[in-house]
Amino acid sequence: MTRVKMLMGLAAVAVGVGLWFALTAPPDALQGEYSRLLGIHPPAMWVAFIAFGVTALGSIMWLVKKAERWDRLAAASVEVGIIFTAIGLFTGMVWGQAVWGTPWDWQDPRLMSTAVMFFVYLGYLALRNAIDDPTIRARRSAILGTIAVVQVPLVYFSVNLFRTLHQGPSIRPDGSTMPDEMLIAMLVNMGALMVVYLALMVARLDVARTEAAAAPESAIAGEAVRPPRLNEVEDV
Amino acid sequence: MSFWNQAFEIARVDLTLERRIGNTLRITLPFAVVALMVFPLALDLRLALVSTIGIGVFWALGILFGMQVALRQSATDTRERRDLQALLGVDPAARFVGRLLSGGVLMSGFLLIVLLAMVVLFDPDVPDGGWPVLIMSTFFVAIGLTELGTLAGEVTTGLSNRTVLASLIVAPLALPLIIGASQSVGALSRDTGILPWILLLIASDLALAVAGVALAQPLEEATR
Amino acid sequence: MRLPRIAAIVRFEQVGVSLGGRLVLRDLDLVVEPGEAVGIAGPNGSGKTTLIRTAATLVSTDRGSLEVLGEDAAKRDLVATRRAIGMIGHQPTLIPELTLVENLNHVARLAGVDIARVRRALQVVGLDEASHRRAEACSFGMKRRVEIAHLLLTRPQLLLLDEAASGLDESARDLIEALVGSVRQRGGGCIVVSHDRGQLAELCTRVASLADGRLETAR
Repeated sequence: MTRVKMLMGLAAVAVGVGLWFALTAPPDALQGEYSRLLGIHPPAMWVAFIAFGVTALGSIMWLVKKAERWDRLAAASVEVGIIFTAIGLFTGMVWGQAVWGTPWDWQDPRLMSTAVMFFVYLGYLALRNAIDDPTIRARRSAILGTIAVVQVPLVYFSVNLFRTLHQGPSIRPDGSTMPDEMLIAMLVNMGALMVVYLALMVARLDVARTEAAAAPESAIAGEAVRPPRLNEVEDV
Repeated sequence: MSFWNQAFEIARVDLTLERRIGNTLRITLPFAVVALMVFPLALDLRLALVSTIGIGVFWALGILFGMQVALRQSATDTRERRDLQALLGVDPAARFVGRLLSGGVLMSGFLLIVLLAMVVLFDPDVPDGGWPVLIMSTFFVAIGLTELGTLAGEVTTGLSNRTVLASLIVAPLALPLIIGASQSVGALSRDTGILPWILLLIASDLALAVAGVALAQPLEEATR
Repeated sequence: MRLPRIAAIVRFEQVGVSLGGRLVLRDLDLVVEPGEAVGIAGPNGSGKTTLIRTAATLVSTDRGSLEVLGEDAAKRDLVATRRAIGMIGHQPTLIPELTLVENLNHVARLAGVDIARVRRALQVVGLDEASHRRAEACSFGMKRRVEIAHLLLTRPQLLLLDEAASGLDESARDLIEALVGSVRQRGGGCIVVSHDRGQLAELCTRVASLADGRLETAR
């Protein structure tokens, strides 16, 4: 618990620092104050990609090792990844409304592919929720988690493959297209959100470990069942 | 236990079960939103057309997926549970009202979220003054659909193909709800009165409520 | 609500019951007096469950007359009569996603029983420590104990048991026996149905045989 509180505190500080950088960077000439969303939208999506990558890793490791901790890692990372994807989608829509005049552009493959990725991982969680047996749940989730990660590069490279309203990659091998202050703000916030991701993951894994440890004994063991009080039947 | 206490107890347990099973939130709702996304793609992204049909697509998908909410697992009783309820003196009409209360809450939440998703995805053409009418119609449709689903669920209880069969029963009977809802918003664009359509929705809901309460006992006996 | 003093707990007179177009019970005569536990033995498909559900007024008779706790079972309003009947059927009635104590609280509320007695009932049946487990994670025997706890709360005048002791361990069977004894002691009556004659001989004051929908004279 202390470790979680420490990480949460660190995450709060990191977010505060990131916020400061995002709010003090000079606004974009065309987009105005909305350009500050650069401090959250791309970092949130990056962290989501990393989260789903961790899920794929956990899934593959479970298929190889069959150890419960890999399944817990994969599932926790999906839960956190979905939160960051939702943040990315929401901030993206706010930004889109401001800059494109519409929150949703059907012809934007990155937007569409991100939405599809969001629903696929929602389906992953729904699948897990529908299965009681832990081994069957882990196996089926691992298979889905391994396949679903294919979407991550598709989402990322969609802006390169298709001409869209969506801004292209801000950071490219030949350098960045944005002012240094904005770039720094974005990178600082990416670091901050990674700390948030780690804090949420540690908290979620702690809960998952506690749940696993507290899981009721097999009904057949029946240790919690005591002999009936036959002489007290009339006293109820 | 009084009629209303029975109804509230059944509604309370129903909502608790739905919170734990979570099919509406985890499966039906995402599925409905994905279905919303299919339409523009299927229409070759003719966005002007998409804006025009947005509200209609909402009603169609709302009814079709709403039926799954009405027929959810948490609202299903085994024969043994129904026998137990009969021996506890549970009034079948109270069970209907209880299911209506819990189903109404779930259905209203479900339809409002799907409506929000439709607004974001379709950017629909809503006439002036249309938003309050749209939201009001959504609530009336939620109530009517819950009533229909609960009745259909009772009629098909214990049958192996219950969900499909109940959906088949509900779909045509939901037409007055679709007509009332779509025409109430359409009337605003045509600058004609919305009152007849709102009254159609209210009358449908009332008629279904009366039918549900009146038929509860005969249905209970017919399905033993 | 106190029911009037009655001569017989259950009286079947030439009762016939059809289900799905098939005659399941025919010319059935059976009287259960206050303080009696009548066992009905029979193979699978002999109509035992139908007999139990008919006695519970959940199935209508097609012929003959049936009186339960002094009331004609063909009457329209049987709420008070049904509330004085307790039944344990083949399948448990617990809601799988609720815990044992939540299940019992739910039926207690519907029965109008004081919730404060629920914990006591769970103690008596030996489930107080297991009460916060979900029913779906509990064994058949544990679920049966919850159903027994429910009947300890509602104190029925007519107890109907349909293969209730089948598949239970010794202590759970002892509970069933204590339950039957408790009902008989209060002047109520029991009908116990099973394919296990040995079990019936232990529980009941007399045993009859049901074959092909007909009841042979009780010994």
